[in-house]
Amino acid sequence: MAHRGRSRFDALLGGALLVAMVLALYMALLQAPREATMGDLQRIFYFHVAAAIAGLTAFAVNFLASLLYVVRKERRWDNLAVSSAEIGVVLFTIVLITGPIWAKPVWFVWWTWSPRLTSSLILWMLYVAYLLVRNYVGDADRRAMMSAVFGIVAFVDAPIVWFSIRWWRDLHPGPMLETGGLSPAMRPAFLVCIVAFQLLLVYLIRRRMFLETAREDLEWIERQAELRH
Amino acid sequence: MLAKIWAVYQKDLLLELRTKDSINAMLFFGVVVLVIFNFALEPMRDSIHAAVPGVLWVAFAFAGTLGLNRMFATEKENSCLQGLLMLPTDRGILYIGKMLAASTFMLVTEVVIFVLSLVFFNLSVGSEIPWLFLVFLVGTLGFTAVGTLLSAISANTRMREVLLPLILFPVILPILINAVEATGIILNSSDYGALKLPLTIMAVFTIVFGTLAYLFFEYVLEE
Amino acid sequence: MDTMNYLFAAYTSIWIVLAVYLYSIHAREKKLRAEVGRLKEMLGRK
Repeated sequence: MAHRGRSRFDALLGGALLVAMVLALYMALLQAPREATMGDLQRIFYFHVAAAIAGLTAFAVNFLASLLYVVRKERRWDNLAVSSAEIGVVLFTIVLITGPIWAKPVWFVWWTWSPRLTSSLILWMLYVAYLLVRNYVGDADRRAMMSAVFGIVAFVDAPIVWFSIRWWRDLHPGPMLETGGLSPAMRPAFLVCIVAFQLLLVYLIRRRMFLETAREDLEWIERQAELRH
Repeated sequence: MLAKIWAVYQKDLLLELRTKDSINAMLFFGVVVLVIFNFALEPMRDSIHAAVPGVLWVAFAFAGTLGLNRMFATEKENSCLQGLLMLPTDRGILYIGKMLAASTFMLVTEVVIFVLSLVFFNLSVGSEIPWLFLVFLVGTLGFTAVGTLLSAISANTRMREVLLPLILFPVILPILINAVEATGIILNSSDYGALKLPLTIMAVFTIVFGTLAYLFFEYVLEE
Repeated sequence: MDTMNYLFAAYTSIWIVLAVYLYSIHAREKKLRAEVGRLKEMLGRK
């Protein structure tokens, strides 16, 4: 049972992910040039931003899956939705941990209420809330529908949160801390890291979906067995 | 359609007027928040006026959450929801009626809390009142637009009363930011032109989530 | 050298988070497998 649905594609994906991650680590830590002002610290940027982009992708996938569930009411869309939301939260946890570690030596504070940091935190909270909704609904169909509607609300909310915080920050200017452009020599490393994290996202979503499907099959079998007695 | 909305609205209002369950709790909770903040902000007594908009909206939001929680709790307790769902009408109508009723309770609470805060924080207002009311109105509509939908969602869960604030506050953040900002502009400066941006964002929020909730309300009410 | 510590902390924390998540998936898979085993046993007995 554990090996059902694990095809050649998954083997290939796992291999590609491994190669991409090793390459990404090498490029981020060694190949990319040392940044002039921040020095080696700037190397946090590559994985930090790549994780954020992959996290945003995960939330977009959750949005599409939620919409599809509401329209089609097919269980696989709910499986995709929960998998992508959970992994998005994991990726944003990485973003929220590496952010302060980067901020402390560069800006001498762990946390600043800058638009990006604040929005990331709110986004993380929105999808933790999504997982909470799932956690507290017993019936599977109802759980799928409630969370699908909440997933749609959360994703629509995200840009409004971003603009509100941005504008609010403009009114109360703190130190301008966001990094500017990336020098061309750093671009290859950045691109490789983005690709590596997208592969990681696909890999994790497949793995998590597989788990969810198996869990659901088992639940179904147990229900059938109960009905028969 | 308007008659149907009015019927749902009136039903909720009547029910509340008869029992006064929610509104009493909301008011008292609002007052408690005001008093607590008065102590919490003691160290910055001299600049307390800058904190008033934030205190007010925290009180409004907490009181509002209390009201939203009760809204579906009473329906569930007496299986009134089944009855409502049997009505041959669009579920969206139900949403609008309930959302307007929730807004009414919240606005009444807000007015009382605001008057009390004038006393507690030694404020005086005059010509600002219509502007303040506009901000309270738009902020409240935004709050209940998404709050009514999320309240219906949390009514479907175990731990409903606990869950609602957890899922509502992250979503409602844009309303809180802009409402606090707008209230601050009115109370602490007289540059009313600066109100345009927060009011616009709140209005966009209200329209976007009002539409979304209107469309999706039937899905969260099933059964 | 202090810089290197922060860099090290950042990259380590990334792998720790990922490892914890992979472990949580693994633990849930194990629980399912145990459940399947239990079902098998039940069916075999009858």
